[in-house]
Amino acid sequence: MTFMPSCRDVQIELTEYTEGVLPMSRRIGIWIHLLLCKACAGFLRGMRALPGLARRALTPPEAVPEAATKVLAEVQAALKQQTP
Amino acid sequence: MKEIPPTEAELIQRAATGDSDAFGALVRPHLALFHNGINRILGNDADTQDALQDALMSIHRDLPRFEGRSRFSSWGYKVCLNAALMMRRSRVRIHDMERPEPLALGPFDERGHHLVPAHLPEWQEEARAHNLVERQELRECLTRALDELPDSHRIVFVLKDLEDWETEDIARHLQLTPGTVRQRLHRSRTVLQARLRTFVLGGRP
Repeated sequence: MTFMPSCRDVQIELTEYTEGVLPMSRRIGIWIHLLLCKACAGFLRGMRALPGLARRALTPPEAVPEAATKVLAEVQAALKQQTP
Repeated sequence: MKEIPPTEAELIQRAATGDSDAFGALVRPHLALFHNGINRILGNDADTQDALQDALMSIHRDLPRFEGRSRFSSWGYKVCLNAALMMRRSRVRIHDMERPEPLALGPFDERGHHLVPAHLPEWQEEARAHNLVERQELRECLTRALDELPDSHRIVFVLKDLEDWETEDIARHLQLTPGTVRQRLHRSRTVLQARLRTFVLGGRP
């Protein structure tokens, strides 16, 4: 492993890099690589954009699924039986 | 004269003493949130219903201990996620303990550098993706991509990137090392990014 990591190395280690768990020398190597490599910097931007994109896209619908309403009714019925 | 509806605190008090109607009125406004939180983790309807039932029973059982420091919906949501994790743990498979192979989006040359940088995703266009977010197509694409992830990876992505859990908490709940959590998270992010990039750039996934 050289001081300046390859694009493949950078991609593989980006999550560890963003969580700050890599050794300092490796972090510096990746940091410099990201300054110089547009493709890897774009990959990092994509990785950072993904959670927000996914959260917004997967916001649960307002409507309560029928199955959930049924489960609640069953739990309420069970609670009624438990109550003396 | 119109009757004033009971407050959430009143409903909690009544539900805690066994009033099942109050329990229904308390839970119903948050039922979609609870159901969908569980479903994101378990990914199938039958298990989701079982975990939701367990979670609602737990919520009812623990209501006397709910001190109101957080909102009821947040507290209840946590109970639901825990129920989903418990359900998942009961069907954990041996291969879930394996560490995944590293994954990177190539192609790379023999030194590991990008071969065709021009063909790589350019997320500078992410603003455009945000305008697309409301579109059903993106939701479907993401849902499909998430469904295609192995169960052991999807749960890590959901907890970290959608639910905002700390890596160490995920590791503790899933009985994994933090390193394995990061590996799975990274693989999930890479796969999802690969699936979404063409979509974001206006192509077809």
